[in-house]
Amino acid sequence: MNQRIQGLGNRLAEVSRRDFIKWCSAAAVYLGLPAGMGEKIAEAATAPQRPPVLWLSAQECTGCGETLLRANHPTLETLILDVISLEYYETLNTGAGHQAEEARVEAMKKYEGQYILVVDGSIPVKDDGIYCKIGGKTALSLLEEMGSKAFATIAIGSCSSWGGVPSADPNPTGATPVHQIFKDKGIKTPVVNIPGCPPNPYNFLGTVLYFLTLKKLPELDAELRPKFAYGRLIHENCERRPHFDAGRFAKQFGDEGHRQGHCLYMLGCKGPETFNNCPAILFNDVGSGAWPVGTGHPCFGCSEKGVGFHAPLHSPARPIYVTPPTLYASVFPEQGKGASGTAAALAAGIAGAVIGAGAAMAKNLGKSSEDGGEEK
Amino acid sequence: MGKRITIDPVTRIEGHLRIDCQVDGGKVTNAWSSGQMWRGIEVILKDRDPRDAWIFTQRFCGV
Repeated sequence: MNQRIQGLGNRLAEVSRRDFIKWCSAAAVYLGLPAGMGEKIAEAATAPQRPPVLWLSAQECTGCGETLLRANHPTLETLILDVISLEYYETLNTGAGHQAEEARVEAMKKYEGQYILVVDGSIPVKDDGIYCKIGGKTALSLLEEMGSKAFATIAIGSCSSWGGVPSADPNPTGATPVHQIFKDKGIKTPVVNIPGCPPNPYNFLGTVLYFLTLKKLPELDAELRPKFAYGRLIHENCERRPHFDAGRFAKQFGDEGHRQGHCLYMLGCKGPETFNNCPAILFNDVGSGAWPVGTGHPCFGCSEKGVGFHAPLHSPARPIYVTPPTLYASVFPEQGKGASGTAAALAAGIAGAVIGAGAAMAKNLGKSSEDGGEEK
Repeated sequence: MGKRITIDPVTRIEGHLRIDCQVDGGKVTNAWSSGQMWRGIEVILKDRDPRDAWIFTQRFCGV
């Protein structure tokens, strides 16, 4: 294995063997695997037999492909030249027209039952799927053809995971997620959803590496999302969470609270109902604050079904559950309210928040313990 | 008369592009380009809160 890693290092002059092993160990920890699995990941990532990948683009904007360009470990070129074998991807194929089509058919035949199918974009089903065609075939028929012969399918982005932008009301084209098409057509290929608009590249790469290393797919939640990435609400790991608990809110863009970096809940932040790891792993490898809330804009729930592109941007979130702090002193004590209202607000740790929010959270307190139990 | 050449998909671009060329006597006499995918974002934007519009319009193209 050392030789292989050295070989990889030679091909990528800027990556030393030490850095590569370090990266693999970090990846292991990120995936919730023991740190010792780093060596196994390194072995899998440098194996001479690279897993074939076919990439189908449907109703998409290529933002999901672009997001992979922003990954630095591994970079996109390392991924497609050294880790996987990308057999077909419209955006990167050298051949066009019938040549691209031939490459797709050939790869499917050669690697039947072994390849990983990656899908970005939703599948339009209205009017027999005429709203997305590649080489004269509808995306619907292509997904059926390619999905049924794949070993596993990764739906990258919100569009292929749950419908995303094209599925927004009134869903003019009948945009449908991949797992729903599989269900309707009786295709048994397992699906992993990596929602986000775009998703964090490491959530996708982490899934690929997990698969390469352990030869199975990571543990998924009810929405088919890997638990290592989507196990917790954004709200739980948000750096502005203490402001929420203490009742310090930005109420308008540019007001005192906004300038002070207070909680964006009252501007419509959907962190309390969106499961993702944005505040923990951030974007673009440029350091702290590189995610929407960090820049002062409320999360709009891009990765969450029924929230992103569906709930109005500036309407308040419907908190799913709020883990209460033990006891925070109220910064702005409520005045002139009945005892019960104050107690509810205090219990939820957000005295001074909008009327009703405290009660809603107090109602949810009991749920937090069982929800906390699902984390491993 | 002549010959129709179709290139679909056109690769290494974002989106689903198709080009049709009419060739007569060795010369291209007419050509058509068409986007092969439609999401209806114009339809989705109708009657929506204007403050929400950028969420959709900036996703026309992710490149």
